[in-house]
Amino acid sequence: MMRLIWLHIAILVAGSALLIGDPAAAQRHPFAVGGQEAISNATGLAGLILAWQTKFHTELQQAARALSNNPNALGVFLASCFAYGVFHAAGPGHGKAVLTSYMIANETALRRGLALTLLAALFQGFVAIGLVSIAALLFKATSSQMQNSTHVIELLSYVAIFMLGARLTWLKASALVAILRPSSIKDTNRFSCAAIGDSLHAHDSNCGHIHAPDPTQVAGPDFYWRDAIATIIAAGLRPCSGAILILIFTLSQNMFVAGILATLAMSLGAAVTTSLIAIIAVYAKGAAIQWSGVNSHRGLIISKSIEVVAALLVVSLGAILLIGIAATQTGT
Amino acid sequence: MADNRGAQAHPHVWVAVRSEIVFGDDGQILGLRHAWEFDEMYSAFAIQGLGKNGKLPTQTELEPLAKTNIESLSEFEYFTFAKQNNEKKTFSSPQNVTLDVNEKKILTMRFFLPLAAPLSAKKPFSFQVYDPTYFVSFGLEKQKPVTLSKAPAGCSLSLLDPTPLVAADNQKLSEAFFQNMSPGADFGVKLATRAIVACP
Repeated sequence: MMRLIWLHIAILVAGSALLIGDPAAAQRHPFAVGGQEAISNATGLAGLILAWQTKFHTELQQAARALSNNPNALGVFLASCFAYGVFHAAGPGHGKAVLTSYMIANETALRRGLALTLLAALFQGFVAIGLVSIAALLFKATSSQMQNSTHVIELLSYVAIFMLGARLTWLKASALVAILRPSSIKDTNRFSCAAIGDSLHAHDSNCGHIHAPDPTQVAGPDFYWRDAIATIIAAGLRPCSGAILILIFTLSQNMFVAGILATLAMSLGAAVTTSLIAIIAVYAKGAAIQWSGVNSHRGLIISKSIEVVAALLVVSLGAILLIGIAATQTGT
Repeated sequence: MADNRGAQAHPHVWVAVRSEIVFGDDGQILGLRHAWEFDEMYSAFAIQGLGKNGKLPTQTELEPLAKTNIESLSEFEYFTFAKQNNEKKTFSSPQNVTLDVNEKKILTMRFFLPLAAPLSAKKPFSFQVYDPTYFVSFGLEKQKPVTLSKAPAGCSLSLLDPTPLVAADNQKLSEAFFQNMSPGADFGVKLATRAIVACP
């Protein structure tokens, strides 16, 4: 039992580390670009990452400057965008928290998880490209108008995170409850219900429990894709400031195509980092289950509990982000 | 307030600062006249969609943006942190706020930031410009970043530089590896130059 508690604490700590990275009640920055950026303490590992991110952003700016004078500098520009993506994604952020929690909450095969990560990163890039293409290129929107549309997207993405979390929590909690019921009752009831063979009796208080969603029942292909798409949207809907800046800048320099390529390079870079984090998450869960005994009843309870906690993390992340928006709205 | 907000990811906006310390007729310090020049990426973002027929936006067309910027700046203490006698000095609402863009498409924000109460210049007065959230990286302009306006004779101005950015960065990083990977608490303030003026 102690091990179980420690596991939960460990996951909560890891989860809150990701959560801290999000803007709970910060004001809108006067020179904000796109959505609110993640906030992190500039100490320890976060500070080191911060220093690297700064370095790569500076290099990216120099490469963009070089490109506006010399079209041959495209390769360098794209490479620096890729590097920027790798390091930008290394900081705390809600997208990674959502993806990682989703992968912990689901018995997702690593390969599918990685595909999910890549798609989320690319989706985020496409949102930025779409936003700038439609708003700036088509409608000649001003930066404040673009800010407003980014805020709407931001709100939508937080709602998506909350809903995804709520759904995962419901599914995972039901699965856990189903397991926690003493197995003897389950067996006899299944037998007795089947024996009765009467449709009216199938819904009595004892048999009702069998209707709790079992992961093996709901893990069909439809279920997977619907949730996977929801995860991609929840994790990737909010475009990143760096991409918006680069797109607008290249647009103003009449090299929008280079900006689109740069955004995609950045997305791929971000996918590399997020994948690493996802791999760590999946292996950590595997190790935790291994440690507690793979096939034991306790092992099953532990793995299901981990999933519930991960799902709860997604739901609280969504709630915190939405509260953050509400605080910003009323605070200004 | 500013302290518990933490650092805001890493800089996305760069600003080159030029500031004038403005004196009154009686030799007191009235406030600071800032000119903040933005980097080309943020400039491009800010002027996006403004300006007619492919022309650069005029000061009038930039007025609404200037207003929005200065309003949100008030919540961040205008990123200007002044001290005298080791005591924090506050500012009142900025005046003559303008944004303009030059032929190189570079945006500059100008405003006069009056001190809440004029200060005697007999004791050293100092200020720094930085973003505690480090979303904006403020740096002083290379040539004459800080000047004095209508200062009484004999006033001296000095700039107290932090370790140069790159050197500080590298040093921090290498030290960091040995000191539990901790490059220090607040990049924004640690990289900020302090301007100090003292009059006889």
